[in-house]
Amino acid sequence: MSDMNRTITRAEAEELLYREARLLDAMQLREWLALYTPEGLYWIPIDDTQPSGRTASLIYDDAARREERVYHLEHLPFPAQNPRSRTVHLVSNVEVLGVDEQGATRVHSSQVIYETRTGDYTQIGLGEISVAVARVEYLLVRAEGGLRIRLKKILLINREMPQGNLTFML
Amino acid sequence: MTQEIQRVSPFFADPAPAHSLIDDTDGRFRVHARAYTDQAIFDLEQKQVFSRVWVYVGHESEFGKPGDFKTTHIGLQPVIVSRGEDKQIHVMLNRCMHRGAAVCRELHGNTQSFICPYHAWKYSVDGRLLAISGEKDPSGYSAKFDKPEGLRKVPRVDHYRGFYFASLNPDVVPLVDYLGPAARQLIDRKLAQAPEGRITVQGRPFVGVYQGNWKFQSENIIDGYHFMYTHRSFVQLQAKYGDTTGDFGVHKGGSAAEMSKYRNQGNVTGGVHGHGINQKPVVGYDDFFTGAYKDHFSALRDRYGDEELRWVLGMGAGCLFPTFGMIHNQIRIWRPIGPAMTEVTIYPYSLDGAPADFNEGMLRSHERFYGPAGYGAVDDVEVFAINQQGLSASDDAWLIMERGMEAEKRLDSGEVEGLPSSETVHRAFWRQWRRLMDGR
Repeated sequence: MSDMNRTITRAEAEELLYREARLLDAMQLREWLALYTPEGLYWIPIDDTQPSGRTASLIYDDAARREERVYHLEHLPFPAQNPRSRTVHLVSNVEVLGVDEQGATRVHSSQVIYETRTGDYTQIGLGEISVAVARVEYLLVRAEGGLRIRLKKILLINREMPQGNLTFML
Repeated sequence: MTQEIQRVSPFFADPAPAHSLIDDTDGRFRVHARAYTDQAIFDLEQKQVFSRVWVYVGHESEFGKPGDFKTTHIGLQPVIVSRGEDKQIHVMLNRCMHRGAAVCRELHGNTQSFICPYHAWKYSVDGRLLAISGEKDPSGYSAKFDKPEGLRKVPRVDHYRGFYFASLNPDVVPLVDYLGPAARQLIDRKLAQAPEGRITVQGRPFVGVYQGNWKFQSENIIDGYHFMYTHRSFVQLQAKYGDTTGDFGVHKGGSAAEMSKYRNQGNVTGGVHGHGINQKPVVGYDDFFTGAYKDHFSALRDRYGDEELRWVLGMGAGCLFPTFGMIHNQIRIWRPIGPAMTEVTIYPYSLDGAPADFNEGMLRSHERFYGPAGYGAVDDVEVFAINQQGLSASDDAWLIMERGMEAEKRLDSGEVEGLPSSETVHRAFWRQWRRLMDGR
């Protein structure tokens, strides 16, 4: 079996997910972009039982939209991220669930993301800690230089309920 | 000195509180911060505003078949909206007639009946009381029992072209008159974008909560002034990415200068019942008839003609007093929770009869600007919280809403027309608010 076809192990998947979490928390977003395959999708659905053409998602980012999201955060001040958020991503319950028809490995994780806005913590909306709780599913593939993400799907437990400001990196 | 007394304590200065909270003397138009911050004002609004006007409760496409229902609110009142076996839309309080428990705990769905979780009183989907558990038990109800007919019906329900409104006020003016010419024209033009003249609410809405007063959203959805500033980063994104990341031609202009120029075309109208409408003719009109959807747009041109179609495709925006908004291809409602807490729900819709990939493109565009992780609406609600924060500096209590006062004119309909980035629509909103709060 060639190296590129080797089964992805839980240890390898964990290493990638931990690295992704660290890059997001450190806002090393160019490196985060490089974790995805070109056709990869970063998806936070409200209703994942419907095709994307029939319902809006919280995030439905192909490569161009991921690039735009990162450019927006890096270069353009906007009220919802001025002042900035800080985050900590906790990644747990990582399991390899098998391989899909296109040869990508299905990985499941549980994630808790803590977020707070910096700035004058006496003001409305700043200095409060928000919590996002989700099942996060991945499709991972091998590529030159390591694993890549073909799909990251964040299923927030409160996905159809009121959301606050989600302009930080989930 | 009079001004100083009012500033500190408007209620003592004037026995009619709402009057003292708006200063429109001598060419001024200023609103007092307590209109946004005061619990007593908030409570009075429930009685004087939300219980007396028409409030939007749903669209016909959400109730396709008998038994379809959703829950929503009229002000603070939780209601169930349903389509009964009689095909009619019914609106009733979500409260058992027995001892007050909520009878429906789902957001939406289809059901044969609502059964109270407490003692299992059973109601039909249109609210009739079908059965009382143990009614004839020895410990039950006597022959003299004044049995309720069913769930408390909201006394007035009507629709305009599939948009359903309800009112707790049995004496409210007819809906068609309440909307008036400008709001009806906005709805008509929204529906005119659809080949079949109808829309379908599409998928699930975005829901958000912000720590600010509900009236900030009423003001902002038709505020032509803020766009180039609050949404400056979006303007820059558009200049860089154009349509390549899914705007789908919704935000016209390209460069910041072109976008600003476009946004200053057209007009705003302050409606007779406090509505605000912002409309403009579209730019790049000829391009609609050469692109991928030329057949779709050519058919609309044959029906409406060039002049009207320019306004239809300009996709106007409106705030229908007090808490119903239309902008682009969405229905937006917002509901007061407290003086500094508001929930906003944004429903995208598709155009019946339009190409499926056109509707999908509009959905992606909607998601990019209006979602809580998007590049537009999230900055608006952030600003609403920033507004509320600012008003805690109450030692200076007045907000200035005088933009474009000299440039507006009164129409024969009684409506007031102003320039696109004026505050004409805000003044119309506040005048209606004051009329209602004063009990007029």
